Parts: sequence; structure tokens; C-alpha cells
Amino acid sequence: MNSLQHPVMVGLLALSTLTAAAQTARPAARNEGKMPPAKVNSLPGPAPTPINRTVIVLDPAHGGIDSGSQISDTTVEKDVTLALAFRLRSMLTVRGFTVVMTRDADSPSEVDAEGTALTLDDRAGIANHAHAAACLLLHATGSGNGVHLYRSELDATAGEPAVVPWLTAQAAWVPQSKLLEKQFADALARAGIALVASNASVRPMDSLECPALVVELAPEGDDADSVNDTDYQQHVALSIAGALLFWQNQVQAPVRLSTVAAGKAVQASSTGAQP
Amino acid sequence: MIQRHQRIVFWCLILCVIGMGILLAVERQRGRARIKALAADQTPLDAPTATTEAVTLDLANDDDGTITATTRQVALPEEANARARALIEHLIAEYALPGSPHPLPPGSAVAEVFLLPLPVVGYAADTSPMAANDRGSMGTLPVGSSNSDASNAKRPGGELAVIDLRSTFVNQHPSGVEVETLTLRSILGTLHANVPQIEQVRFLVDGQARETLAGHADLLRTYPASDTTSIRGGAHSANEGQLNQ
Repeated sequence: MNSLQHPVMVGLLALSTLTAAAQTARPAARNEGKMPPAKVNSLPGPAPTPINRTVIVLDPAHGGIDSGSQISDTTVEKDVTLALAFRLRSMLTVRGFTVVMTRDADSPSEVDAEGTALTLDDRAGIANHAHAAACLLLHATGSGNGVHLYRSELDATAGEPAVVPWLTAQAAWVPQSKLLEKQFADALARAGIALVASNASVRPMDSLECPALVVELAPEGDDADSVNDTDYQQHVALSIAGALLFWQNQVQAPVRLSTVAAGKAVQASSTGAQP
Repeated sequence: MIQRHQRIVFWCLILCVIGMGILLAVERQRGRARIKALAADQTPLDAPTATTEAVTLDLANDDDGTITATTRQVALPEEANARARALIEHLIAEYALPGSPHPLPPGSAVAEVFLLPLPVVGYAADTSPMAANDRGSMGTLPVGSSNSDASNAKRPGGELAVIDLRSTFVNQHPSGVEVETLTLRSILGTLHANVPQIEQVRFLVDGQARETLAGHADLLRTYPASDTTSIRGGAHSANEGQLNQ
């Protein structure tokens, strides 16, 4: 006799189905504003984004026809950022890091199927695929002095949503970026390098899913061309590499939010960004 | 043998042709001078009425990276869109003056300013990765299920200002993280101080979305209009030894 034909079995089956439905609906109902975000995060959800602690992404800004700023009559930003990236790559490699660079020549290192140069979004895509412990966007300027650190202006969210909005992907990583900024600031201060730390909206930092900072190399003194000085670049690169060595043991991925909480986090990051 | 009256007529016609040629050349020169004078006219956009009022301009300083609120007496139009545009033009005109601490290229910077009531009805910016195309343009999504709160007003009457910058201004803007950020913050702070109904600001260049101002500052995101004079307080020198967490 087929068990489904028995009225008792059918009743039990219906009861168990209803119980299961109620159990799956209850967390969702709690997520819809009845619980503080901290308790939402404690719900069992997807595993955090994996981090490759020994991978660092370096993005030497500009390249190709995009020269960046004109630092002096003979120096353009794209050349300085590439030179600094090479120095940094060497120092990180000897410390056991794997370095992913978005370009290792004048023009961006990869081209898409149509042969066009990499866009800023392509660079963010390369960085996000690396699941790096840190993403450093290297810039250079002829004004000010020392090193300028910028982190994202986005407001931090409680965790990483299941579907990450491209233009605010960094929001979940802002707390880690702040910690990385502090690590860098301490290292540069110990090395006696002048530092300015602030926040800014610099493309494509807000689209990065990793602790991300803009590292802008400014002249050592009054001479704008000092950004080209190899000793100066070496000094800065040494400090940054040292800071990253400590950082690799501290970096933590943000928690992954469940679908409902993620929706709220997305809305919060979209409306709460400050300049 | 050509008769005498025919020779007279011929030479008269020659004289007329030469005279007309000279007249044409002179008028052409005058026309060119007139167009050149119009293009070089950097007079700020003034209100139709002569009455002036005190406005707060958030002026940037490249030397220390600060923004300082400064009061100026300016004649402004009554209509909100024209008022917002005139404010930005006055701000950029300040930066174009010799000795400016935040030198910017002279000339008109803004093609138009549009004020849209919040929430933006119909469509909102699509922030998904699929929406950003190769040229950095952003797509739009119908306002509705997924992210409708993003464009909601914080208070009744809140508006989104869409500032359409001229490419002639943007292409000549100095390049650098700080200098570009200061320009945007200066505009945001000035609008916040003088047109309080503006809550959010988007930037376009010649009517199109553009990724960056001059290679650094993000022009794709929606900026909140807020007081920007205190923001640089987060910055510090290494000697101060502490970070603003």
C-alpha cells in the first residue's frame, strides 16, 4: 500500500512541511527590522570571502595615453607610479608575497577581446579576483610632501551583502581599510616620512573587495622631481612593505550578510556615503 | 576701338568691386573680434536684479588642503536652478583670479544645473557591475523593489542637483587626488550652505556620465551635499601621531 494514500501519513507529511516552512520563514521575519544588525550577523550565513594573505594587488595608476598629472616639465604621474610599483613588487616578493599588478608596462597589462585598453573597472576586476590582503592604488603628485594616504569615503556597512553593488563594494571593507591606513601611518611615521591621511572618492577604489588605500607619493621636499629619486622611493617602499608584513596576519574578511540583511546594507551604503 | 563712356563704366565697376572687397574684409574682421570678445568674457553670471545678498562660498586651499567658508556679496537670481548655477560660476570665478590658493582655469564651468525632487521618480542610478559600460557610463533602474531608499529625501522638499559641467572646464582642470577632491567638496559645501533643499549632487560632463574629473576624483557616484569645511579635519600629519578613526 502506498504510504501517501494513508490519511495519517498524509497528515504527518503536511505537518512536517508546515513546520519546515515556519522554520525557514522565522529568521527572515526577524531580519526584517525586528532585530539589531549585530544579531543579524550572528545568524548562520554564507562563509566570509576567502583572503589570500600573501597576495597584494598593486595598481600603478594611469598608463598609456592617460599620463595622469604633470608633476614637472619632464615627469608625468604614470611613470612615477610604475617605478614605485616595481620597487614595491621587488620588496614584497622577497618577503614572500605574491604581487598582482594591474599593469607592468606603460599601457595596462591586459587587453580585452576587442583590443581596447583596460578600463578602471577592469583594474578593479583584476584586484577583486585576487582576493588580496591589501589593494594599493599608487598615485603621485607634485604638490605637498611625503606620502598621502586616502581611504574610501563610503560609510562602513555591517557586512558584505550576498549581491555586492559594484560602485559601493568597498563599503563592507572600510573598517579593514581604516586599520590598514593606521598600520601604514605608524610605519611611515617610524620611518620619518611626512604623512597626510584623509578620505576621497578615487576611482576605482569604491569597487574593490579588499582592504584598499590610495597611496599618493608626494615630493620629499620643495623639489617636485624628488618623486623620481630612487632613494626616496626605496625608503617609502621599504616602509610600506614592512607594514604589509604585519598586516597579513591581521586582515579579516567582513561577515557575509543574509539576503534580507544584505538588502538593508546596500541601501545604507548607497545613502550614507559622505564626501 | 572702345568708346569713352564704356571705359568709364568699366572703371566704375572695377572701383565698386574693389570697394566691396574692402568692405567685406573689414566686416569680417569686426565679426571675428566680436566673437573673440564674447568667448573671452568671463564676467560671472549676474542676476537680472541689481540687489546683492550675502552668500557663503566654501573656498579650497591647495596649500593645506582645507576648505574655508567665506562670505561674499553677490547678486543671485531667484529661480533655484539658475541660483545654483550662478553660485558655482561665482565660485569658479574666484578660483580663476590671480593668486588664488586653488587655481582653476578661467571661463564658464557649468552648462546647466537641474534640480530634481527626491525621491527620483521613475529611474535611479543602477550600481550593478553590469550597468557600467566600457566608457564608464552608468545605467538606470526603475525605482522599485531592490534599492528604492537610495534616492529618498531625508526631509520633505529635498532635491537632487544634477550639475552638467562643461568639458572645456573639466579638460583643463589640474590633475591630482587632492586638487580634484577639493574642487568637488568646494562645490558641494557651497551648494549646501546656500541652497539648503539640495541633498544630493550628481555630476555630468557635456550631458554625459564621466568616470573622473581629471583622472582621480569619482564623478559616477552621487555625493551628499553637506558641510565640507570640517572634513579635512580627518587628515593629519605623521607628527601628530594619531589617526581619526
